[in-house]
Amino acid sequence: MRVTITKKEKTYSLDAQSDQRILYAGLNQGLPLPYECATGTCGTCKARLVEGEIHDLWPNAPARSKLKTDRGEFLMCQSSAVTDCEIKIPGKLPTTDPVPDTNTGTITKCEKLTHDVLHFDVRLNAPMAFHAGQFVVMNVSSIDGGRAYSMVNCASATDTLEFVVKKNPDGNFSDWIFNSNQENQTVELFGPLGKAILHPDDEKNILCIAGGSGIAGILSILHHACETGYFKQHAGNVFFGVRTVKDMFYLDRLSEYVEQANGNLSVTIALSEHEGAVNASDMSHANLNYTTGFVTPVTMSEMADKCENTLAFIAGPPPMVDDAIKNLIMEAQLGPDQIRYDKFG
Amino acid sequence: MSWKPVCSADAVEQHTLREFDVDGITVLIANLGDEFRAYPPMCPHMEEPLADSALCKLDVMTCTKHLWQWNLRSGEGVSPPENNRHMLMYDLKQEDGQLLVNIESELEYDFDDEDDED
Repeated sequence: MRVTITKKEKTYSLDAQSDQRILYAGLNQGLPLPYECATGTCGTCKARLVEGEIHDLWPNAPARSKLKTDRGEFLMCQSSAVTDCEIKIPGKLPTTDPVPDTNTGTITKCEKLTHDVLHFDVRLNAPMAFHAGQFVVMNVSSIDGGRAYSMVNCASATDTLEFVVKKNPDGNFSDWIFNSNQENQTVELFGPLGKAILHPDDEKNILCIAGGSGIAGILSILHHACETGYFKQHAGNVFFGVRTVKDMFYLDRLSEYVEQANGNLSVTIALSEHEGAVNASDMSHANLNYTTGFVTPVTMSEMADKCENTLAFIAGPPPMVDDAIKNLIMEAQLGPDQIRYDKFG
Repeated sequence: MSWKPVCSADAVEQHTLREFDVDGITVLIANLGDEFRAYPPMCPHMEEPLADSALCKLDVMTCTKHLWQWNLRSGEGVSPPENNRHMLMYDLKQEDGQLLVNIESELEYDFDDEDDED
């Protein structure tokens, strides 16, 4: 099927199989289509059908409530083309790099990090290049729909992607991977996706605010920054929010990055449900800081007046991301071009 | 001309936005400190409801969905550089402490009204 996208003076077109999501087909063909979550939640990839017929792959997608369906609006990430189509999309077209593609892989390792957080590796059938901080949409055949997961590692081209998943009472994928060992299972991936990345020429101090499994993309950014010597010129401050001491994970990696950054990286673990004061001498990693409180207020109390020439990365549950954005703009006086995030919710 | 009452001037706190229903049409009122403005309720960029998504710092409004900014007084886009979407506005006047807007028809953003990209 040929899908034609008309802007006022320009026309783009893409070819999509009848079972292929229009967003994925377009991104894979190098078209810079707008998107954020790529999984039917955010509504950023909405488009309007001018001519032709589409099939709605997920009529109950959360973002559907944001559409004017009576005017032909639909989600490109949840629709396929039944016939040749002409569509319109709002806004300027962003840039896409690298070009995402469909890939398959095998789960090679599953390791529980806490009672409700699990690390897993996927060995890809074809290597993938991605930027630090990007994500993929993951599908397994036994579960409907895709989920977005950020890579924990970072490599210019790799055949192994590392991920972390938090147990979610309503999450089919998390049930699937927590309830039995899924090593050797096949997964399908589409990616890389996402704009919350660290560019080599950013030339700013970095501030990272992460909640729970949102630390995945932040670790990828820290990995990249350490590898490229970014902390020789710039400071890094990371605030990682979890509930209690029992919920902390990836401290080995964080501690290792602090070591590598040679005094220019500070990592603070914010414990939101810890009772009493935190005794740092009880903690296993002496080069990390520990405090109590929710991660955004903790970040603000330490950083609100120290954010000049700073680039902020935010990752975590959507309410935490929203709260951090609000505080960075209103309290820390950051401009929109200093804040990067990908909201999956 | 069809001037319709919206609310009393003190119903909207300084440097905030608040939605009102005016005969079935949703109008977003901004209190700029010394003046008021009235807009349709959605973000000009991707039609997010601004009553939920907007942060106001003096005259600058940030829609937190994609961090696009506008000047509430002029309606002009502030950032990112490609923001050439102008906020639509209803005429507004203040009489005896009441805000009134002139609604000829409901203002809405449309894909077709956008300036083309380069």
